[in-house]
Amino acid sequence: MVPTSEIARVDPTRRSALIALFVGILAIAGGYTAAFSQGGTPTWAPWLLALGIPITVGAIMILGAARGARGVGPLKFPFLFVVAILAIGFCAALALPATEGSLSGLWLGLPARAAVVIYGVGLLPIVVLPIAYALTFETQTLSAEDVERVRELGRAYKARSEASLDGEPAQPDDE
Amino acid sequence: MTGALSHSSLIQVALPSAAQPAVIAVGVLYFAVIVAISAWAARRTRTASDFFVGGKGIGLIALTVASVSVSVSGFAFIGGPGFIYAVGLGAMYIVLPAAVTNVMGAWVLAKRMRLLGEARNLITIPDAIGARYRSPAAQGLAAIAMMVGIVGYMATNALAMGVVINSIFGVGLGWGIWIGMGITLAYSASGGILAGIYNDVFQGLLMAAASVLVFLFVLNFGGGLGEISRTILAHDPAFLGPWGRLTPLAALSFFFVFSMGSLGQPQAVHKYYMLRDPLQLKWYPLLKTLGLVLVLLLYFSVGVGVKAFVLSGRLAPLGAPDQATPALLLNVTPIVLAALVFSGVAAATMSAANSFINIGAAIVTHDLPIALGRPVKNELLWGRGVTVVIGVAAAITAQRSGTTVAFLGIFGWGLFASTLVPALAVGLNWEGATRAGAIASIATGLIVTLALETAAYRKAFTFPAGVTASAVAMVASFLVFFLVSMLTRRTAPSTLDPDVRLVMEL
Repeated sequence: MVPTSEIARVDPTRRSALIALFVGILAIAGGYTAAFSQGGTPTWAPWLLALGIPITVGAIMILGAARGARGVGPLKFPFLFVVAILAIGFCAALALPATEGSLSGLWLGLPARAAVVIYGVGLLPIVVLPIAYALTFETQTLSAEDVERVRELGRAYKARSEASLDGEPAQPDDE
Repeated sequence: MTGALSHSSLIQVALPSAAQPAVIAVGVLYFAVIVAISAWAARRTRTASDFFVGGKGIGLIALTVASVSVSVSGFAFIGGPGFIYAVGLGAMYIVLPAAVTNVMGAWVLAKRMRLLGEARNLITIPDAIGARYRSPAAQGLAAIAMMVGIVGYMATNALAMGVVINSIFGVGLGWGIWIGMGITLAYSASGGILAGIYNDVFQGLLMAAASVLVFLFVLNFGGGLGEISRTILAHDPAFLGPWGRLTPLAALSFFFVFSMGSLGQPQAVHKYYMLRDPLQLKWYPLLKTLGLVLVLLLYFSVGVGVKAFVLSGRLAPLGAPDQATPALLLNVTPIVLAALVFSGVAAATMSAANSFINIGAAIVTHDLPIALGRPVKNELLWGRGVTVVIGVAAAITAQRSGTTVAFLGIFGWGLFASTLVPALAVGLNWEGATRAGAIASIATGLIVTLALETAAYRKAFTFPAGVTASAVAMVASFLVFFLVSMLTRRTAPSTLDPDVRLVMEL
């Protein structure tokens, strides 16, 4: 049986999430760097943030939720949905023409572009993510067995610390 | 979620006097409840664990409401609606991340920190960094970075409390600061975080009730959201554009800083240690997100509603954007609702102050001594003493210089984000992260934030529109963390204890 530590080290989900996180941060860095251009912020700079932010947010959630060889299991669907919602919301706000005016049609009380952002980016993830978290909690996040395993290792750590004859702290100094 | 902005906005605005009998009566009642809860909690505080993490015995509902309370601060009630009034819907990008931040924090940090607390009896955020990297140096540096941020938060919080209490009771700013800080200190020093949590529960419920009632009132008064939008669109259509009057880069930058940055906010992250049963985390993100939505209803409705009321002539033009909430409350809403909201603002500032005082005391009495290899023997006694010192120092600083205090309050959120997010949030989920990477990242966040904020404050440097010191520092901190960890990756496996490794793999 492969030790869990080995599984984690080669876990492709976490590796992919880390790469995506790095790429997302690079995209955001690119957007900010472009803003320092002498001619002012180029029109493409916000697009880097509009794409980099959903990637970054999605990547760090996947990094946190991934569990060994199991990866993120059924959570891939809500993650994909939320990354898509954020990207579509931001990009739609950038791409759609500004048509707000006194004759604009309203979506749930707001002009179309604002509604996409407020209801899409601000409310839709609430309907999906916390529910997905709760529904997959025992299988994907934490079970009573997991807690007991951690407590056991914690007890072993404490015993080692107390057994230390010279009274050195269990947490060693920096090398 | 919006602490740094909250304080500066409360400082800049001289809140109008609300000292009417109903407001004073509700204010007195509010403080009486605080005193009663504090007296009860003080009797239950017997150990350092009780004092700093509530004995890790807080129930799900109490912890959720308390976490909402400390996450919001007075910005949601005063500065935020004023910001919307000034720049339109672009200001919503500060609060929109609330849709993802709670569940993101749950997946990335909550389980691992709660389990680390279970295994190691950890009580602070630097504790977790120290355990993850087996490094007192990383723990100490994280503690120093947090302390710098807390100094800023505390001074501005003290001033914000003074402004609000002066508005309610008309006692003057100086007395307002000392009354607010005195009451906060009384319950912080006697009951520690236990008193703080149960006061936060009361304060959070008060804030939610005030927010929902104001939201319903504004919709009713304005004839519904559609009618409010029509009024604005007829006069100022850009206000209801997806970015408001902000540039797209500025609005998106808010989203980035307030989403990813949430993973480094100690007042919220610290709460993960306190939950009685780790398995109760199951419902925590859902409940907290719903709570935040309720509390933030006022933010949106007052900002948009007051804009429409002013444009339609139902409300006189505002002297300053931050007058949006006071103008609505004192001129349009029933006075009891105004009283509730003013008490809610006082609650928000006191709740944030208590949380930061407690975290600061833990840093001074727990993290820094550990980093220096000289742990304190009686952390409870020292914790109480340091709590008083921090509170008094904050109150004195708040009275000294408005501009200095405003400067201190600017960088809190960004400093926590840039120093803690990579080392803590990524580090607890990536075995390849190294001690050197963590230390370099924390140092980068600290130095870049302080340097850029100071340069901008002294007008030695101007950022392009949409770029902030917080965002630049956080990006730099991430990149340094990845780069240094990659360069030193051969040392990564040796920095993990078996129990920490298990916590990271689960």
